[in-house]
Amino acid sequence: MRKFPAPYPLAFIIAVLAILPVGVLFSLASDSAELFDTHNLRVLGNTMALMILTIIGAVLIGVPLALFTAYVQLPFKRVWLILLAAPLALPSYIGAFAMYFSFGRGGEIENLLGIPTPPVDGLWGAALVMSLYTYPFVMMTTRASLLSLDGSLINAARLLGQSLWGSLWRVVLPRVLNSIAAGALLAALYALSDFGTPAIMGLDTFTRVIFVEYNAFGLSQAAMLSLQLMVIVALVLFLESRIGGAGERPGKHLMLWPARWQYSLMLLASLPVVLLSVVLPLAIFLVWLVREGTGGFEMSYAWNSAYASLLAAVVAVICAIPVAHAALAGKAGRLMERITYFGFGVPGIVMGTALVYLGLQLPFLYQTLALLVVAYVLRFIPLAVGSVRTTAENLDASLVKAARVLGASPREAFMRITLPLTLRGMVAGAALVFLEAMRELPATLMLGPTGFETLATYLWRVYEAGYFGRAAVPGLFLVLLSGLGLILMLSGERKAEFTISEDSRR
Amino acid sequence: MQRRTFLQGLGAAAMLGSLPLTSRFAFATTATPVSVDSLPKLEGDLTLYLGRGEGGLYENVLDAIKKRNPKLNLQIRRGGTAALANTIVAESKAGVRRADLFWAVDTGSVGMVTDQGLGQALPDDLTAQLKPGFQYPKWSPVTGRVRTLPYNTERITADQIPDNIMALADSDLSIGWAPAYASFQSFVTAMRILEGEKATADWLRGVNRHAKKYAGELGVVMGVERGEVDMGFANHYYTLRLKSGKPDANVDLAYTNNDAGCLVNASGIIALSEGDLPVNFIRYLLTQEVQSYLASEAYEIPLVNQVAQPDGLPSLDTITPPDMDLRKLADLRPTLNLMRKVGVL
Repeated sequence: MRKFPAPYPLAFIIAVLAILPVGVLFSLASDSAELFDTHNLRVLGNTMALMILTIIGAVLIGVPLALFTAYVQLPFKRVWLILLAAPLALPSYIGAFAMYFSFGRGGEIENLLGIPTPPVDGLWGAALVMSLYTYPFVMMTTRASLLSLDGSLINAARLLGQSLWGSLWRVVLPRVLNSIAAGALLAALYALSDFGTPAIMGLDTFTRVIFVEYNAFGLSQAAMLSLQLMVIVALVLFLESRIGGAGERPGKHLMLWPARWQYSLMLLASLPVVLLSVVLPLAIFLVWLVREGTGGFEMSYAWNSAYASLLAAVVAVICAIPVAHAALAGKAGRLMERITYFGFGVPGIVMGTALVYLGLQLPFLYQTLALLVVAYVLRFIPLAVGSVRTTAENLDASLVKAARVLGASPREAFMRITLPLTLRGMVAGAALVFLEAMRELPATLMLGPTGFETLATYLWRVYEAGYFGRAAVPGLFLVLLSGLGLILMLSGERKAEFTISEDSRR
Repeated sequence: MQRRTFLQGLGAAAMLGSLPLTSRFAFATTATPVSVDSLPKLEGDLTLYLGRGEGGLYENVLDAIKKRNPKLNLQIRRGGTAALANTIVAESKAGVRRADLFWAVDTGSVGMVTDQGLGQALPDDLTAQLKPGFQYPKWSPVTGRVRTLPYNTERITADQIPDNIMALADSDLSIGWAPAYASFQSFVTAMRILEGEKATADWLRGVNRHAKKYAGELGVVMGVERGEVDMGFANHYYTLRLKSGKPDANVDLAYTNNDAGCLVNASGIIALSEGDLPVNFIRYLLTQEVQSYLASEAYEIPLVNQVAQPDGLPSLDTITPPDMDLRKLADLRPTLNLMRKVGVL
């Protein structure tokens, strides 16, 4: 018998690699002169303001929609649910891009409809876009928790004279506070690490300033800012880990049967959210496609995106297998798994900064596809680990034992029993990594090889040059991909989140 | 680059008398521009760092060169000019060289790279093709541009515009500008160097009170033409391009006198690696075809001898650009900090 489980050494190496970027940042930041200055303070203020406004916005939109989708009975319920969750799959820079060019004087809305609209930019613009694309986090976590509550408590409150709204407010919401907080923290994490939206909206948050510093090749200043951002991210992650789940025994599920005009009114009220976050980008890109055609776009951009993402997906899953199995094997393995999760909290712009510097030290990696793939893998490996681990967990351990009893070596048992049975999780994990990598913007901008244009970088270049009409094709491609991501979520690991009611979960 | 010689040189392109004494090939200026047909075919791998975004007419030039030279494997890395200049310097410090050529849209970024001794010497017959005052041993200018004040001819007349850029801060004209635009930032850098930090900050604050922000300078010129604002700040070619498509456009150009408002700048290309291929690539950019294409289509100012300048560029003798070393424009960071502090960026 070995002293430690077989997957440990590999998992250990991968875990070490996962924290490598932070080590690089520390060494890079150590020769930086300025730890903190007034400009820095403003950046911190902007970042915090954006985070807080995003939380407020996401909660204000997400919680009512969670109540609506969890409790209200209406026709085509599943369609509405999917539609309302759709912004989750779209990268917010798509929305920022569309809104930036739609609103304001000379924007597309004024051009097409002649209605003057206020511009969407700055802090409020960024907060609006962020809220519109992060509320599904709040909606989904809250909804899952609402579905598990015992509805008879509401009935009791109603019998004791509370109004419906009163009982929702006083009996239901207090019990799902944890879930709301969990969703809000996910939204906060997104707001902290997103690069595209504040950059397009012209708000100096950490991510945007890091990019400016990187462009001026103030790499050590960029590293210092990155570390400051990481401190905030770590704080949010810590808070998130402290939030406990609801420990309530499920009971009778609450269901409301409003009159037709009532649910029509509710749908109407939720419509602006979908219009702004999904329909507007789609419509704008289609308008541009019709007006400007596909000029400037080359299919090679899409192929490049797909190629790099496919490599990342395959490598991520290969790396995820030992980590996932190590996590199941023991305590030390779980720690290693936790460490690989770190990458997900590292904003892409921070990962990019670290790896550009690493590349300059190791010239054989600089500006190579390999380095870009490493960045994708480090960032998105938790998605693969999660998927692989879930299927591996559900694997009946006695099957492997039976194989061993029948004389198979551990290796053979793994190849013939474990691997085929966990293949589904691997494919799902690979697909998740693939889709995330396809949409990744900042690290791709910084690390992509020369001449290696992807959908996301092309969209960014178009934005920088102001030839926004040319965003049509890459924009539609990205929306389409996001749609695929949504389908994947619906059919894969997160299927449970999209169930209609507690009953259909079984 | 010596500023005034630039425009005077333009005005008197073929006049031998205005040649700088440093040029050993002064008499070559009477030669006719080279045609692409006489150039050697380009073969092999070449990496170009291009300081310009998508959609520019430079892309068309590069496409045409690629089409002409099927054996040329040209890889292009695009980005902000200053960012790429920084990249090249950082790469050379790390002992990594990826770019063979750097095509920058302003002289400041060129200066950043050549100051590090990264430019390869260009052959004399190549530099001799350029107009007097534009012949440099380690880099080659490609085209030039002037900062201008486009104004709406329906709303105001030229004499309502002060000929001192600093006076615009206190004027009651409504102004369109694009603070995020690289050329505008170069202009602010020039002002910062010429007038000082404080005066520039006050100027930005003053103008900001009656300014409307656009995303780019083409937008500024279009806004001026539509009458959204009285006047704006933009490179000369945007107005000329607009007028070529719409001859009765309500827009005309005004110039300030001897200050940052009529700054003259040039795009330039540097060979970063040794060998004939990068140099021969530069020769393509200096051909009659490319230069006159950039002049007639992009309304940029051709810098090769005897290539006609674009239609509609006003009499150049009347323009008096400021006396400054354009390589100082590379110092962009303080400008960005200043603009952020004032709150215009």
